[in-house]
Amino acid sequence: MSDRLIEAPAHTGMPAAPLARFFGRLRPRGTLGFGLTLTVIILFVGFIGPFLYPPDPFAIHPAHALEGPSLAFPFGTDELGRDELALLLSGGLATLIVALPAAILAFLVGVVYGLAAGLGPVWLDRVMMRLLDAILALPSLIILIFFASLVTLDNTSLILLLGFISWPGLARLVRNETLAQRGRDFVLASEQLGAGRMYVARVHLLRVMAPVLVVNGTFMVGDSIFALSALSFLGLGVQPPKVSWGSLLESALDIIALDPWWLILPPGLLVFGSLLAASLTGQGLLARWGHNR
Amino acid sequence: MIRVVATRLASSSLSIVILVTLVFFMVHLTPGGPAYSILGIKATAASVAEVNARLGLDAPLYRQYGLWWWHLAHGQLGYSYLLSRPVGSLLWQYEINTFVFYTASIVISTAVSILLGLVQGVYYGRWPARLIGGLQLAFYALPPFFVAAILVLWFSVGLRWLPANGITNLRAEHPGIGSYVAHLVLPVTTVTLLTVASLSRYFGEAVQEELGKDYVRTARAKGVSFSAILFGHVLRNALRPLVTILGLSFPYIFTGGVIVESVFNYPGLGWLMWRSALSQDYPILIAIVLIIGVLTVLGNLLADLVNSVLDPRASYE
Amino acid sequence: MSAVLQLNALSVSLPRGGRDVSILDGLSLTINAGEMMALVGESGSGKTIAALSIMRLLPPRARITGSVDLDGTEITALDERAMRAVRGRDVGMVFQNPLAALNPSRTVASQIQEAWRVHNGGSVRAARARALELLGEVGIPNPEARLDDYPHEFSGGMRQRVMIAMALACSPKLLIADEPTTGLDPLIARQIMGLIARLRREHRMGVLFVTHDLSVVEEHADSIHVLYAGRTVECGPAKDFFAHPRHPYSEALLGSVARVGQARLQNIPGNLPEPEARPRGCRFAPRCAYHQPECDAAYPPALPGGGTLAACLYPLPLTERISYAEPAAKPPPPNWAPQLEVRDLGVRYGNGAGLFRAASKLPPALAEVAFTLGRGECLGVVGESGSGKSTLGRAILQMIPYQGEIALDGEGFSGLRGAARRSRRRRIQVVFQDPRESLNPRIRIGDIIAEPLRLAGGTSRTEQRRRVESLLDRVGLNPEMAGLLPAGVSGGQAQRIAIARALAAEPELVVLDEPTSSLDVSTQAMLLNLLKDLARDTGLSYILISHDFAVVSYMADRIAVLNAGRIVELGDTGSLIAAPRHHYTAALIGAAPQLRPHLR
Repeated sequence: MSDRLIEAPAHTGMPAAPLARFFGRLRPRGTLGFGLTLTVIILFVGFIGPFLYPPDPFAIHPAHALEGPSLAFPFGTDELGRDELALLLSGGLATLIVALPAAILAFLVGVVYGLAAGLGPVWLDRVMMRLLDAILALPSLIILIFFASLVTLDNTSLILLLGFISWPGLARLVRNETLAQRGRDFVLASEQLGAGRMYVARVHLLRVMAPVLVVNGTFMVGDSIFALSALSFLGLGVQPPKVSWGSLLESALDIIALDPWWLILPPGLLVFGSLLAASLTGQGLLARWGHNR
Repeated sequence: MIRVVATRLASSSLSIVILVTLVFFMVHLTPGGPAYSILGIKATAASVAEVNARLGLDAPLYRQYGLWWWHLAHGQLGYSYLLSRPVGSLLWQYEINTFVFYTASIVISTAVSILLGLVQGVYYGRWPARLIGGLQLAFYALPPFFVAAILVLWFSVGLRWLPANGITNLRAEHPGIGSYVAHLVLPVTTVTLLTVASLSRYFGEAVQEELGKDYVRTARAKGVSFSAILFGHVLRNALRPLVTILGLSFPYIFTGGVIVESVFNYPGLGWLMWRSALSQDYPILIAIVLIIGVLTVLGNLLADLVNSVLDPRASYE
Repeated sequence: MSAVLQLNALSVSLPRGGRDVSILDGLSLTINAGEMMALVGESGSGKTIAALSIMRLLPPRARITGSVDLDGTEITALDERAMRAVRGRDVGMVFQNPLAALNPSRTVASQIQEAWRVHNGGSVRAARARALELLGEVGIPNPEARLDDYPHEFSGGMRQRVMIAMALACSPKLLIADEPTTGLDPLIARQIMGLIARLRREHRMGVLFVTHDLSVVEEHADSIHVLYAGRTVECGPAKDFFAHPRHPYSEALLGSVARVGQARLQNIPGNLPEPEARPRGCRFAPRCAYHQPECDAAYPPALPGGGTLAACLYPLPLTERISYAEPAAKPPPPNWAPQLEVRDLGVRYGNGAGLFRAASKLPPALAEVAFTLGRGECLGVVGESGSGKSTLGRAILQMIPYQGEIALDGEGFSGLRGAARRSRRRRIQVVFQDPRESLNPRIRIGDIIAEPLRLAGGTSRTEQRRRVESLLDRVGLNPEMAGLLPAGVSGGQAQRIAIARALAAEPELVVLDEPTSSLDVSTQAMLLNLLKDLARDTGLSYILISHDFAVVSYMADRIAVLNAGRIVELGDTGSLIAAPRHHYTAALIGAAPQLRPHLR
C-alpha cells in the first residue's frame, strides 16, 4: 500500500494525437534503444554481411594459416588458412537461419499448449502439466544433447529440435497467466455476456498477455541462439563443412594454447551481442510495459 | 507438513517415471537402434543381430522396458555399450567430481548473490545499484563457453596462473589437494559468474520489494533502525524467493555446467553426458537423465522445505 | 488540558514530473491529551500524507515545511537518529490493512517485544511479559496461547488489535491511526473504534484518527478536521460540526454518506482537482452549489461561527440544519410479478479438488437459500465477509455450479447447454466491486461497451458506435471517452462504464456485487443515485450485494440478511429496520450509520 502515499487521482486527459504517439514510440531510449540497435546490427551482420563481403569462407590459404588480423584478412585466418571474417559472416547466417525459425516455432507451440491447458477441462490441464513437469525436470540443453545424438543434424531437424525443446517454459507461463486472467472480473463479465472460450482467449487473454508474450518471445530468440551455439560448440549443432559461431569458437578452443585471440573474441562477442540484444530488448519492453499491466 | 512433502514427492516421482519412459522409448524407437550406433551405418544384418542378441535388444520392447526397471530396482543402471561396464559403478567417480564442482559453485554464487542483492536493494535507484544492474545484464547475456574461453585465454594461456584442463589424470599422479583446487578455480569461477548474474538480480529485486512493504513502514514507525529492519525483518522474507529460485534454477546451473565441464575437460556428469551423446552410448545417457531428473526434483523439494522453515504460512497450504 | 500535538502551517510537497507538487497546504491543528481528533478527507485530500509527515515517514524526496510540536518538542528540527527515539516511544502508529502491516514471518510476540525493547532495552522475558499484558489489554482472548502465533493465524479484527497493542507498547502520548477500520466488516470496525476510544480515555492519550468515512468517527471523535484537496475546509468540536456543518463541502460530504432511513443521497458533481491543477481560490469552488465569483480570487480565511472554523466566504447559516429528504416513507412494495425464483439453493466449494486430496469437509458456502425476486424490484443482500453473499450472486449469474434451482421467468438453467444457455445467462448481468478489475486494461472504453453488441451480433459498426455514445450519455459520461483506455478514467467513471456495458446487453436483472465499496463517499452517492434512476426508468431488477447496511437500505425494496450461508431474515426494508427479528440483523443495523437525532 505504499503507493497510497502518492494519492494520484486518475487523469482524465484525452489520448495524445496518433502521430505524436507514433513518434513517441519510435524514439526509445536507454535499455530498449540499446537493445534494438544491437538487434539491428546483429541482423545486419547475419543476413546482409555475407553479401557485402564476398570472399569465399571455405577457400584455404595454407601460406597464411593462423595469422592475426591484416589488410588482406581483416579478422585474421584460422589454422587451415581460411578467412575468419568470411567464416564469421557465413556462420552468422547459419546461426540465425536456424535459431529464428526455431524461436518462432517454440513460441507458437508454447502459446498454444499453454492456452489449451489453461482453458481446457481440468483433467486435460493435469495431464498436460504433468508432461510439462517431466520435461522441465531436465535442463533443456540436456534434452537437446540427448535428442541431437539421436537424429541426423541438418537445418530442418535443428529447427524442429530447438523449436520442440525450448517451449515448456513459455507454455507454463502462458498456462499460469491464463488461469490467473480467466478468473478476473472482466473475463467473467465477458462470459456473462455470452462469450465462449475462443472469444475470451482471442479478445481478452491474448490482449492482456500481449506484453508478457512479446517480452518472453524476445527472450526466446536469445535462448534459441544460445542453445544452437551451445550445441554447435559441443559438436551437436550445425555440422561441418558448414560453420556457425559456436563451432568456430569450439575449433579455436582446440588450439587455445597457441593464443589465437582473434579466433576466440569475434565469435564469442557475436553470440554475446545476440544474447545481449535479445535480453536488453526484452528488459526494455518489460520496463516499458511492466507497470501498466 | 509431512503430507505436503509426501504429495510433492509422489507427484515428482511420477514426473521422473514419465521422463525416463519418454527417453527410453525415444532411444529404442530410433531408426536403426543402438546396434547401428555401435557398429556404424554400414553394419551387416548378421552383426546387428548378433549385437542385439548380446545386448538383449532382440526382446520385445515392453520386456526391455520392464527389465530396465527391474534392474533399477536392484540398483543397476544398465551396462555401457561401449565401455562394457556397469553404468552405476562407472558413474560413481563422475558423480563425486560433479558434486564437488556444483557444491562449490552454488555456495559461492549464493553468498556473492546475497551480498550484491542487499547492496542493490538498499541502494535502489542510485549508482551502486545501477552499476550492479548493468553488470547483471551483461553477465546474464554472456554464453558460458565464451566466459570459459576468455578465462582460459587470460589466466592459463596468458598469465599461466591456473591449469586449463581437467583433473582426468590426477589420481595417477598423486596430486595434492592444492592441485585439485587449482583445477577447480576456473570452472567454478565461470559457473559462479553466470549464476550470480541472475541470482543476485532476483535477490536484489526481492530485497527492494520487501523494503517497500507495509511492515517495513510499521517497523520504522516503532523506531527500529534501518539496519535492524534490514537484517531483522527484510532479509528473511527476501530469502524465500531466493531459495525457490535456487531450487528451480538447478537445471539452468547444470546447463552451464555441461558446457563448462566440456570446455575444461572436467570429468563430471555433464562431460560424460556429452561424450556419451557423441558416441551414442545410450545406457549412460538414460542413467544420467534419470540422475539429473532426481537431483532437480530433490532440489525443488529442499527449497520447499527450507521455505517452510522461513515462512510460517507455507506449511498451511 | 495540555496539548500533545500542535501542527503549525504544515505543508508537504512531493516532486512529480520534474517539479514540486504541493500535496498538503498549511495544516494547523492541536490535539490535547485524551482527545480524539478525526482527520477526514476523501482520497487525494492529503490526509495520509499529513499523518506520515508527523512521523517523518515520507519518502526522502518529500519536502516538509512548517512546525510539528510534539508535547513541547519541535520535532521537525530533529535528525533521523533522534527522530527514531520519538517514533514508537512518544507516538504510536496504527495502519490500514494489518495483514500487510505486520511482518508475516515473525510471531506477534516478537513484533510487540521489538517495539518495547527498541526504546526500553531490558530482557526478552520482561518484554514478553509486556507483550502479554498488551494483548490482554486490547482484548485478545486467551493471550498467553496466542503470543507465538503468526499474523496470518489471526482474523482481520484480531490482527488490528495486535497492531494497536504494538503501537501502545511504550505508552505513547499520541496515537496516529491511519484508516484502521477500513476493509473490516462494519461490526468489527465498530469494535475497533470502540477499543481505540476506550484506550484513549484510560491512557489519556491524544489520538489522530485519519479516515475517509465521517460515519465511523461520528460516535467517538471529540473534534473534526476536514481536508479537501490538501487544505483545511472546516474544523472544530465534533458535536458542533455534526449539528450544523458550515462549509458547503462538509455539508455535501455528510449528505452523501448513506444512512439507514435516508431517502435521497446528495450528489457532489465533478471530480477532485489534481494536485497540479488546484484552483487558486477556494478549491471546492468549481463543485460548490453556492459558488460566487469572489470564491475564485483567493483561498478564503477560516472564519469562526457556531463552534467551528470554516474556510468559506459564504458559510451556511447556523439556523439551517443539514437537510435530508424526508426519511423512508417508502411505498409499500407493489405486487411484483415474479421474475427470479431461487429454491433450496446450496453451494459447496472445494469438492474433491485434488488427486491426493480428500473431498472437502468445509461447511457449505450456501445452504437452503430461497426467495423470489419481483420484476423491477431491488433486493438487498447483506452480510459480513464469508457470509456467502458473493457466492449467492455468482450462483444467480450461473458462474459456479450449485444445487437447487434458479429460475428466470419461470425457466431454470439446468439442462441448458451451448447457445441456449448463453442467451439466457445474458439476461442477467453483473457489476463488480473493483471497477479497475472489471475492465480489460488493454481495450478501449468504446470497444468495452460494444462487447455485448458484438457478441450478440447483428449490429453494424455505425450502429454500435451510436449505441455506445448513447449509453455513455445514459450513465452520465462524455461520449468522447469512448477512445480512452481504462487507465485514463477514474474509479467512479470506470464503474459507470461497467454499468453501461451491462446495460448494452439489455438485461432484465443486474447483480450488483458491492458496486460502490471501493469508491469515495461522494462518488458512491452519485453512483447509487444513477443506479436508482436507471431502475426507475427502465424497470430493471437488481440484486444488490453489500456489507454496508446503510447502502442496502437506501437502495433496496426488500433486504435478505445472510449469515454463514443461510438467510436469517428477509423482509421489507422499512419493517426490517424498524423491527428486526433476528439478533444478527439488529447488530448489523446497529453498526451502520444512522440518521441521528442531532442531524434531523
